[in-house]
Amino acid sequence: MSTVRPDSAPVPARLSRRVRLRRDRTLLLMTLPAIVLLLVFNYLPLFGVVTAFQDYDPLVGVWHSEWVGFDQFQQLFGDPLFWGAMKNTLYLSLVQLILFFPVPIALALLLNSVLSERLRNFVQSVLYLPHFFSWVLAITIFQQMLGGAGILNQFLRQHDFSPWNIMTNPDTFALLITSQAIWKEAGWGIIVFLAALSAINSELYEAAAADGAGRLRRMWHITLPGLRGVIVLMLVLRLGNALSVGFEQFLIQRDAVGHDAADVLDTFSFYYGITTGNYSYGAAAGLFKGVISLLLIWGANRLAHAFGEDGLYRK
Amino acid sequence: MGTGLNRRSFLTSAATIAGVTSMAPLLSACGGGSHRRSGANTKEGLRAALPSYVPHTAFKADIPSVQGGPDAATDAAFLSYPASPAATVSGVPGKGGHYSAVTPLWGTVPPVGNSFYQAMNKALGVDLKVKPADGNHYDTIIPTMTAARKLPDWIQLPTWWNPNFHTGDLAGTQLADLTPYLSGDNIKKYPNLAAIPTGAWQVCTWGDKLYGIPSFSTKFMIAGATYYRRDIFESRGITADQVKSADDLMNLGKELTDAKRGVWAFDDVWTYLYTCWGAPLKWKVENGKLVHLFETPEFLEALDWHHRLATAGYVHPAALAGDNANAPTRFYSGKVLIQGGGTGAWNLPDHQSGVAANEKYRRGAFNILAADGKSTPVVYMGASTSMVSYLNARLKPAQIEELLGVANYLAAPYGSAEYTLVNFGAEGVHHRRVNGVPTFTEEGKKDVQAQTFPFLAGPSAVISNPGAEVVTRDYAAWQAANVKSLTKPAFWGMNISMPQAMATAEAAQGVQDTIKDCYHGKKKVSDVQAAVATWKSGPGGRLKGWMTDNVLAKYGSGQ
Repeated sequence: MSTVRPDSAPVPARLSRRVRLRRDRTLLLMTLPAIVLLLVFNYLPLFGVVTAFQDYDPLVGVWHSEWVGFDQFQQLFGDPLFWGAMKNTLYLSLVQLILFFPVPIALALLLNSVLSERLRNFVQSVLYLPHFFSWVLAITIFQQMLGGAGILNQFLRQHDFSPWNIMTNPDTFALLITSQAIWKEAGWGIIVFLAALSAINSELYEAAAADGAGRLRRMWHITLPGLRGVIVLMLVLRLGNALSVGFEQFLIQRDAVGHDAADVLDTFSFYYGITTGNYSYGAAAGLFKGVISLLLIWGANRLAHAFGEDGLYRK
Repeated sequence: MGTGLNRRSFLTSAATIAGVTSMAPLLSACGGGSHRRSGANTKEGLRAALPSYVPHTAFKADIPSVQGGPDAATDAAFLSYPASPAATVSGVPGKGGHYSAVTPLWGTVPPVGNSFYQAMNKALGVDLKVKPADGNHYDTIIPTMTAARKLPDWIQLPTWWNPNFHTGDLAGTQLADLTPYLSGDNIKKYPNLAAIPTGAWQVCTWGDKLYGIPSFSTKFMIAGATYYRRDIFESRGITADQVKSADDLMNLGKELTDAKRGVWAFDDVWTYLYTCWGAPLKWKVENGKLVHLFETPEFLEALDWHHRLATAGYVHPAALAGDNANAPTRFYSGKVLIQGGGTGAWNLPDHQSGVAANEKYRRGAFNILAADGKSTPVVYMGASTSMVSYLNARLKPAQIEELLGVANYLAAPYGSAEYTLVNFGAEGVHHRRVNGVPTFTEEGKKDVQAQTFPFLAGPSAVISNPGAEVVTRDYAAWQAANVKSLTKPAFWGMNISMPQAMATAEAAQGVQDTIKDCYHGKKKVSDVQAAVATWKSGPGGRLKGWMTDNVLAKYGSGQ
C-alpha cells in the first residue's frame, strides 16, 4: 500500500483504500441494496448445491442426509432423458440465436428511421405490450388462434381443407417457440439497442450526409459500428444463457408436443427431480447446467476481448 | 348455491392434484437408512389395532346403501335434509383445553376468530384455533413444520401426499399413537367414530398401530368414471347401457365426432379406462409373483386402443394438446360428449355449472365395462379415505381424550344436529332453510362454506345434493349398478413407506410421459415398450425386487 503524496497530481491507482472509500461512499451505499439482494437470493441458495452430492431427504435435512459423492452425476450421465433434454436445449438455443437475436436489432433500426415521434411512440408501445403478458396468456392466445380447435383450423375444416397442426407438431416445435418468443419479447429487446442508437453522435450523420453518403452507407458506416459494442455484449450474455432457454413456455406446451421435443434442462430438473421427490437428482442436473453456463460465459467474454470489444467488463 | 362447496367439489380439485396416485397403495417415501421401518402392517397386528365397527341405526337414508364385495358398498343417499336434526352427543365434549389445528383449504380462508369459529368452540367446549392453509401449497407448507418439529396439536395429512410428508416416519415420532384409545371396543366410547367403516381406519395405521382419524370416508372409493352427456345422448336416441365393449365406444367416436361443428366425441379417458382391458391398477400377484402394470399385455392393448382413438380424430384437439384445465368447459358446452373424470365430478356444483351452460344438461356415466364385452367388468377400489388427521405426540393422555371427544362430535352423521352446525353453522346466523334446504347466508358463505372442521374428523360420506334431486338419484343408481364390480387391487389400503429411490422408480416419470404422448397420438405403442424396457432394466427392476422382498414376502398382497 502506497501513501498519498499531497504534492503530486492524484493518481487513481495510488489512492489508499480509506480515501477511495470516502470518495465513493455515496455510490457504494447506493449499490448496497442490490448486493444484499444478490447475497440473499443468489448466493445463499448456492448452499443447496451440496444436495447434489447427497441422497437428500427433506425430513432429516441437509446436515444429516447421506453423502453419496458423484453417484447422482453418474446416474445423470447415464440417463438418455437427460441427454435428450441437453440436445433440445442446445438446439433450441441455436435456433433462437439465429432467428430471434437479429430481430430486435432490425426493429430498432427500423424504429430509429421513423421520423414522426408520435408514430414511433405508438409502434414502440404496441411492441412492448406482449412482454408484460405471462407465458400462460401468450400461449393461450396462440392456442386460440392456431390450435387444433382454434380459429384458423376451424376455418380450414369448414372449407374442407385439412387442419394445420402447428401447435402439436414436435418437428416444428423449435419454430413455434421461437415465433412465440419473438412475438412476446422482441419488442422489449429493442430498448437497449435504441439507447445505444441515441448515443451515436448525430453530427456524424450530418457530416456523412454532407459528404454525399446515402441512407444505407450511413447505416453501414456509422450506425452499425456504433452499435457493435452493445451487440457483442448482448451476444456474450446470450451465449452465457444458452442453457436457459426458458421454463414456463416449455412447461405449458410439454403435453402438447410430447416430452421428447419439449424437455429442456430446466424442465428436466423439475419433472425428474422435484415432482418425483428426487431433489438430489434435480440439483445435480441444475449444478451441471450452472457449471457449463459459467464456462460458456467465460469463453464468450474471452472471445469478445479477443475482438477488441468490452464484453462483460473492460479488460 | 345450496350447500355450495361441499366435499365433492373439493375432491374435484384434489383429484387434479393427486391424479391417479391417490388410488395407488398409500406410499410414503423415506430416505434409505436402515433405522427406518417399512411402515406396513401385519395381518394380526392390524386386526389388534383396528377399532370395532358399529354403524348408526337411527338415521334412515332415502336410498339405503347397497352392499358389494368386502369393504365395498354404495354411499347412502338423502333426497332432502332432515327438518329437525337430532343430537347424537349429549353435553359438551371438551373441558376447556387450548389447542391448535391446521387443515388444507382450497378456497378463500375465512377471517380469524369469526362468528362460526366462536360458535363451534362454544359447542365443542374447547378453544380450538383452526388455521386453514392454502391447499395448493399444502405439500410444501407441512414439511417445513415437520422439519422444525413444530406441528400443531391436530393436523390433516392427505394420504396422496404421504410420500412428501414422510407420514410413516412421523407416526410415533411426531404423531400420537391412538391405539390405546380407539382399538377394538375402546372406540365405543366415541359412537360417531365407531360408525366410520373399518377400511378407512386401516388407512390410519402405520406399523401395526393406529395413528389417524379419517374424514370423508366411503366404501365406494374408485378413481373415477367415464362420463357422457346424458341429455345429448338421449336426444340422439343413444342408450349408454348398450355400450358394453371398447369397440362400442370406438363406434360412438365415429358417430358423435363432428369436427366441422367443433364437436369431438372424446376428451381424455385413459386414466379411468385402461383397467377395462384387464390391466391391473399398478401391481398384481400372479402365481405368487409380483407383476407390474407395465409388464402386462393388457396394458399394451389398452394403449393401442387409446392411440387409435386419438389418431382416428375422435379426441378433442385441445385435450390432445394437454389442456386439462378447460376440460369441464368443453363438456358443459357440448364440445366433447365423453370424458373421464373423478367421482367428485358428479355433484350439485357440477349440475349448476352444466345447467348454466345448457338447461337440459344431465351427466351420466357408462357402466364399468370389460373391453372385450365378455369378461366380468372390474374396477379397482382405492383406500376408503384419502383424508386423515393426526394428533401431536406431545399431547398428554387427558388432552388426547379431550380431542377424541371433539372428533366424535365432528364425526356426527349426516342430518344430525352436530352435522348441521359443523357444515352449515348456526341457523339464522350462517344458514336459513329455503324450501327445507339449509342455505348459506352471506356470513355463512364467508365463514362456513369453505370447510375446515370436516378435515379434522367426519362421518362416512353420503350422496346429497339438496335442490338437485336428479343428481342424487342418478349417482346413487350408478353406484348401485356398479358396486358389484368393485375389486380390491394388490396392496389395497396398505401403508407402505418406501426409500426415496423406490418412490422415484414407482413414479416412473419417463414412462408416464411416454404413455401420455401415446394416448395423445404422438408416440407409438412401441415407443412406450422401449421406455418400459429402459425403466425395467434400471429403477423398475429394483422397485419390483424391493416390493417383493419388503412388502409381498413380509405382509402379503393385502387382498
